[in-house]
Amino acid sequence: MTTILRITGAALAGALALAVTAGGALAYDGTNCKAPGNCWEPKPGYPEKVAGSKYDPKHDPKELAKQGDSMKEMEARNAKRSENFKKTGTWVYDVSKL
Amino acid sequence: MRRLHSIGGYVSASCVALALGGLLTGAANANDRLIEMAKNPENYVMPGLDYTADNYSEMDQITAENVKDLRVAWTFSTGLLNGHEGTPLVVDGVMYVNSSFPNNVYALDLKNPGKIKWQYKPKQDPAARAVACCDLVNRGLAYWPSDDASKTPNLIFSNQLDGHVVALNAETGEMYWKVENADIKVGSTLTVAPYVVKDLVIIGSSGAELGVRGVTTAYNVKTAEMVWRRFATGPDDEIGIGDDFNKANPQYGQKGLGLATWEDDAWKIGGGTNWGWYAYDPSLDLIYYARATPRPWNETMRPGDNKWTMTIMARNADDGMLKWGYQKTPHDEWDYAGVNVMMLSDQKIDGKDLKLVTHPDRNGIIYTLNRVNGDLVRADFLDDTVNVWTHVDMKTGIPVRNPEYGTRMEHKGKDICPSAMGYHDQAHDSYDPERGLFYLAINHICMDWEPFMLPYRAGQFFVGATLSMYPGPKGDRANYLGLGQVKAYSAPDGKYKWSVMERFAAWGGTLATKGGVMFYPTLDGYFKARNSDTGELLWKFKMPSGGIGYPMTYEHNGTQYVAVYYGVGGWPGVGLVFDLQDPTAGLGAVGAFRNLQNWTQQGGGLLVFSLDGKGPYSEDVNLDEYSNEIVTDGT
Repeated sequence: MTTILRITGAALAGALALAVTAGGALAYDGTNCKAPGNCWEPKPGYPEKVAGSKYDPKHDPKELAKQGDSMKEMEARNAKRSENFKKTGTWVYDVSKL
Repeated sequence: MRRLHSIGGYVSASCVALALGGLLTGAANANDRLIEMAKNPENYVMPGLDYTADNYSEMDQITAENVKDLRVAWTFSTGLLNGHEGTPLVVDGVMYVNSSFPNNVYALDLKNPGKIKWQYKPKQDPAARAVACCDLVNRGLAYWPSDDASKTPNLIFSNQLDGHVVALNAETGEMYWKVENADIKVGSTLTVAPYVVKDLVIIGSSGAELGVRGVTTAYNVKTAEMVWRRFATGPDDEIGIGDDFNKANPQYGQKGLGLATWEDDAWKIGGGTNWGWYAYDPSLDLIYYARATPRPWNETMRPGDNKWTMTIMARNADDGMLKWGYQKTPHDEWDYAGVNVMMLSDQKIDGKDLKLVTHPDRNGIIYTLNRVNGDLVRADFLDDTVNVWTHVDMKTGIPVRNPEYGTRMEHKGKDICPSAMGYHDQAHDSYDPERGLFYLAINHICMDWEPFMLPYRAGQFFVGATLSMYPGPKGDRANYLGLGQVKAYSAPDGKYKWSVMERFAAWGGTLATKGGVMFYPTLDGYFKARNSDTGELLWKFKMPSGGIGYPMTYEHNGTQYVAVYYGVGGWPGVGLVFDLQDPTAGLGAVGAFRNLQNWTQQGGGLLVFSLDGKGPYSEDVNLDEYSNEIVTDGT
C-alpha cells in the first residue's frame, strides 16, 4: 500500500505540474497511473465518478443481478443432469424427468 | 483418467484450483492423441490445425507453380443462408461441417462425400436470433479422440447460438450430452468454436453488446461436469487471479483490479466475452485467448481501466488460473474487442530464442509476447494509418493514446482509425515457420463515433454509440471500396514483407502451406492463392458467395485438397443479410459495406479443391450411382 500511495502522490504531483504548464491541453493519454495496471483518468471537463453526475448510468441493482442468477440456475440444472448421467449412463436433458 | 470421475458433482467457480491441479498433472490425455493426429496430413482435428493454431500445413503437393491447375473436386451446400464462419474438421476419413444458425452439423465420408453419413439438426428457440449482435454465425467444431480406457466414444462438440453445448457421438451423430452454458434471456449466446484440451472442452461466451459479463468454462468431456468457470471482470477468485499472476510483469497490474478499475457494480455487466480463437502450449499447460470489449460502448458510463476486458490471457488448463494477463486496450473507447487469433511460434528475436504468442488485435496493433511469462516482445501497427495510439511504451506495456481520436459523451469523434470493426477481426490467420511470416487478413476501415446514454435492461442491447464507418486513408472513400489488406508480417523485425489492398475487408483468414502458396477467401466471393514469398496473385476462383471462414487442407488417398466455406455474412454482411439501408445500422457496418451486394449474395456451403479437380468422382464416375445398368430399346 505504501508503494501505491507513493505512486499516487507522484502521479498527482506530475499531473499538477503538467496542468500548471500545459493548462487546458492536459488530456488523458493513458500514461499517468494511480497504481500498476490502473491508469485511467477523466478527460478534461468530465467527472472522476459518474454517480450523481449527468452521466450517472443509474443502474438498477435488480437488472445487474439477473446474469448471475441465471448462471447459478443453469449450473444447478447441469449438475443434476451430469449426476444422473454418471449414475445411469444416459443423458436426460429435461430436469423435470430426473 | 478414471480419477476424474471421482471428483464428482458440481464444482463452484471459485474453489476448483487446488483440487484439480494435482489430479490431472502428468496424466496421459487427449492432448497427446490430438497432437499425434494433427501431424497426420490426412487429419484436420481442431481450429487452426494444431495447438500452435498456425494453420500451416506441411503438405507441398500444391505449389506456386501448379496452383493454377486447382479446380473444384466436389461441393456441399449446408441448406442454410447467413454467414458461414470457421472451417470443417477432417478426422479418420470423415469431414465434419458446421453451419450458421440453427447450427446443423454434417458428417461426410470422404470416400463418397455425396452421401451424408449423419446430420445433427438442433431445435433451438428462434428468439436466439434476436440477441445475436452480428449475424447468426458459428466458428466451428471440436473433436475429442476417445481413449482405450474409456467407454466414452469419439466426440464432436458443437456450440449453439441458444447457449447450449452439445457433445455428439462422432460415429453416429447421436447426442451424447447437452448442457446450458449461456442464457439468451439475458442476452448471452454462443458463436465461438469449442476447444479440446486434455479431457476438457473449453467454451467461450458472446453477448457483450447486451452487457454480458464474459466467462470461460471448462467441462469434463466424459461427464459434462463443469470443471472450472472463470470470468473477465469482478473479484480475483472469479477471474482466476492468484499469487503467481503477472509475477514477471507486475507493471501490467495484479490483484484487485477486476473491481478497482470499475465504478461500483458496473463490472457485473462489463463485457469481456471471448468468442475468438485459442492456442495451447502442452509443455507449459497454458491456454491462450483474449477477452473482448467492456460495456457499454459509451465510455463515459464506465470510468476506469475496466480490467480484465481487452486482455491477452494465459490460463492453466487444469484449473483455469491465470499465469499472466496483458490488457491491450485499457478503458476501451472504440469497441476494439480483443478476441482475435493467437498463433504460437518459436523464433529468435534480438539474439534470444523465445517461445512466442502473436496476436493481431482489433486496436490496430499486432502483439508478440513471450508466452511463458507474458513479456511484451513486439507491438507494431498493422498499418501506418493507425491514429488512436502514438505508440506502445514497451517498458510499461501501455498504449499511449492520441487524445484527438478518443471518444466521449457530447462529442463526435471523427476519422478514427481503426474503426470498431478493427484493422483485424475474427479472421483465423496463419504462420509459416519456414519463412518466418504471419499471413494476416486485415481490415482497412475508419470511423466517426458518437456515444449516447442508455439504461441497462437484461436481454436488451446495451451499446450506446452511433457509428459511421468508411474505407481507411488508403482505400476509395468516394466509392466505399478498398476496405481490406492482406499482409505478410515478420515478428523479429516488425516488417511487412509484402502487402496488398483488397476491395473488401479480408474477414475470414488465411492458410499457409509448405508448397509456398497461401490461401484466403474474400467477401466479394473469390478464393485466392498468392505466392507466400512475394504476395503475387497466382490463382483465384469465383465462389457462389463471399467467404468469411478460413481455408483448411488435408490429404485423402494421396491427393491434397483445399477446402473453404462460402456464405457471406458476419458483421460486414449484416446490411446484405438483413436488408438494412441506414448507413449507421448494423452497428455502423451497413454504410461501410454498402457496395458488397454488387459483388455477392447470400449462400452457404463448402468448396473442396484439388489439382485438376481430382476427386472421388473423377476417379470413378460410377461411384455412388444408384444403378449402372443402362436399359436400351434394342434398336
